[in-house]
Amino acid sequence: MTSQKNFNDFVRDYNQDYILLLTRASRRHYDCLISSFLVLKDLYNVIQVMYDSGTYTYDVLPYPFSFRADDVLLRQLGFDDEQIQNIFGFLDYVQKTQGMEFEACLELGTVAMCARMT
Amino acid sequence: MSQSLIAEQLESQIGQIVEDWTGAVRDDPRIQSDAKLSKPELIDHVPAIIEEICELIRKSETPGVRNSLEARANVYVRLQQGYSGRDLVRELSLLRITLLDYLMEISRQRFELTAKEHRDAAKILNLYLDEEMRYAISVFCDRSPELPQEPLQN
Repeated sequence: MTSQKNFNDFVRDYNQDYILLLTRASRRHYDCLISSFLVLKDLYNVIQVMYDSGTYTYDVLPYPFSFRADDVLLRQLGFDDEQIQNIFGFLDYVQKTQGMEFEACLELGTVAMCARMT
Repeated sequence: MSQSLIAEQLESQIGQIVEDWTGAVRDDPRIQSDAKLSKPELIDHVPAIIEEICELIRKSETPGVRNSLEARANVYVRLQQGYSGRDLVRELSLLRITLLDYLMEISRQRFELTAKEHRDAAKILNLYLDEEMRYAISVFCDRSPELPQEPLQN
């Protein structure tokens, strides 16, 4: 059984990683970012499923996973105009390199990534 | 009419749906949290929410924890904007009414839409917004004013 403290740690780890990935995108470091978001989405889902069980509370609120077209959220997170442009540029980059939207890419998940590796 | 056509019809009217919903929220004297928000701040995730609902209708997928990302993002942003829980519930209620009105209009104009197809789309729409309300109530209860907020960082 996961303790509330461990759950809090999951959320804090998720939040740190989320900011890290967005920061990478904001600096146009797009390499391998899709697979990093893929892993992070799994952690986000685990947190949400655990929270939904009613067993845990949020001592720390997890950042929302979705950031598409949301400069309100990105400004709240402290990114400036240029950084936000670069983050949205990552979505364009995914469309160009993968031939599909970022969300579709995440939904296909490892199936898509593995198919490209073979 | 297939579910994908219902989704397509709703998606093609997102701009007007958001406009109607924004007006309804601004005109509602029971919602006070929106007063300090600019129009883009008020609209925020709503178009993305409608797109996500349409995608679920298109795939006949039941809304749940794992496929309501935009709803959760909306709750997060509203909390950060200082919204009260009851105002968020009210604005979601207005969004539900607006979307159901548009769905009804689509059904009225498209005779080929069966009652079951209408019902299935309405069910997904309702379940999605219920999912957001469920999450909002949990989060707002957890985040009582006494609890320190996680500082935003970059």
